[in-house]
Amino acid sequence: MRISSVLLASVCALLPWNGVLSAAALPKIDFPSDSPVDLLAADYSGSNETVRGGALLLDFHAALSLRNSSQRKIRGITLLVSAQDVTPGGKGSVTITSLDVGPQDTFPVRIDLRLLRPLQASANVPVQIGLDGVLFDDLSFYGPDKLSSRRTMTLAEWEARRDRRYFKSVLASGGPERLRQEMLESLTHEADRPSLDVQVVRGGRATNFEPEKQVKFAFLRMPDSPVEPVDGMARIAGNEARAPRLEVLNRSDRAIRYLEVAWILQDRAGREFLAGSVPAELNLAPGQKSRIFEDATLKFPQLRAQPMAIEGMTGFVSSVEYADGTLWIPTRGDLESPELQRVVAPSDEEQRLAQIYRKRGLKALIAELNKF
Amino acid sequence: MKHPAEVQLALFTGGDLGRWERWRVARHIARCAPCQNQIQALRDAGAELRELAAEMPELPNNLTWNRLSQEITGNIRVGLAAGEAIALFDKPAPSKPRLGWHAALVLLGATAIFAVAFWTSLPPQQADHLLASLKRIRTERIGTLIRAVPAATDEAMVEASSSGIEVKENGRTLSLMQPHSDGSTVSVSMEGSAGVRFVDADTGQVTTNKVYYADQ
Repeated sequence: MRISSVLLASVCALLPWNGVLSAAALPKIDFPSDSPVDLLAADYSGSNETVRGGALLLDFHAALSLRNSSQRKIRGITLLVSAQDVTPGGKGSVTITSLDVGPQDTFPVRIDLRLLRPLQASANVPVQIGLDGVLFDDLSFYGPDKLSSRRTMTLAEWEARRDRRYFKSVLASGGPERLRQEMLESLTHEADRPSLDVQVVRGGRATNFEPEKQVKFAFLRMPDSPVEPVDGMARIAGNEARAPRLEVLNRSDRAIRYLEVAWILQDRAGREFLAGSVPAELNLAPGQKSRIFEDATLKFPQLRAQPMAIEGMTGFVSSVEYADGTLWIPTRGDLESPELQRVVAPSDEEQRLAQIYRKRGLKALIAELNKF
Repeated sequence: MKHPAEVQLALFTGGDLGRWERWRVARHIARCAPCQNQIQALRDAGAELRELAAEMPELPNNLTWNRLSQEITGNIRVGLAAGEAIALFDKPAPSKPRLGWHAALVLLGATAIFAVAFWTSLPPQQADHLLASLKRIRTERIGTLIRAVPAATDEAMVEASSSGIEVKENGRTLSLMQPHSDGSTVSVSMEGSAGVRFVDADTGQVTTNKVYYADQ
């Protein structure tokens, strides 16, 4: 009798158990007192926790309602999400860009978070949500900026302005029909663009059996880029690429403090993918060269159920931040080169405008463009 | 210290050892008091014998004591030589030199020294390449699949896929899931972040979810 009870209890413990989150397990949302956004409401419906063997799976679905309590229009916001008990080192962020939120207007933010932690972990509040930054329409910024969200959102806003300007010029020069054509091309481009799953592991430890080889970068040079990639290589082994080393030259007349080199990989079948980027915080004076090194490994688990075999690499400078805080991004002309057209996704703003066209039609798109 | 045999000492005393043996025994005697005493005793006995021989009467058939002594010494040498020859027959035939293990050890040591010297003299890239090739041979030819070092469970890793992004650490995971959207763009940064961009189908907002390593 006793043995059967123990067995029954063991079986019950192994079975998944599903329950609604207790109040103590809900995220703690904490904005600074002088924050330009206020939390009006938080809805956690649909959140739950599931016991799976010795682990607890927490599913948070937070629908936040925020209000712009400042006197300026908000263009972007970044919320910092951390769970110290679960991943002491890791954290996440949710950024919304291309916003047009006026003073006292409200706007939603959705956070869909999943945590997997041991069952016996402490019962502390598992998730904290805070504010990392708010970007206004005059490109001023508020927030602790722990995740460099100022730069991220400013880059997105620059891209958005560039693309709105472009589509407005298309509308002005070619009329609505030409704009429609552009949107259809954009939707096709987005649908055709290859994508793949990718992992980044800290350190340069390859775990592949394929012989490792040094592969040199080929570079796409953009005529007006302030930075020229001079040389570069990375170590390739099968589906892993690691330890990229780049040498860049500042050919502008201004000091540069940040740049990103986008990284395109080619596989043995000749397919190309935008794999990731190599960012660098540096202090690059005009005319000066600098070396960039990242000790990390990119892994591509598989591509359509087939292991990927990396064969070649191409890099291009995707963004630059000058020491004075101004930015450089490629022009639409740069991005329309055949090499980039194949792999680079349309900008966030272009995707947003294309979705407006697809769901609400050309008139709604034109109205949206005219708002800015 | 091994002392010379009594016979050798006796022959040494009589000056009947070969050059090499004489040098060896003399070298030993120079450092060994007991053997020096024994040599001295043998010399005293020899002197005594010679005195007694002088006092003995003449031998018949023109024999002299000296000649008799030489003949006896010669017979002793023949006997010793014969004994040594017979002893060789009694001993088991010497086996072949036992080089098996010694040779193997020597070969092993030499190989190890060569391998270390070869490995340290290789440029790092070639060394890595060689290691990877050996691993491949092990996998393909021998067929034993042993992953070199799988991503350690305590290693921080970020992963991006079209369904979401996550940071893993010590077997624990923080994931940001992608809600309903009409397409997404996955990106990773080598400094240790992964992101997914999408236009939320419900709100129409451009959303970028990211996860980061600790030192971000």
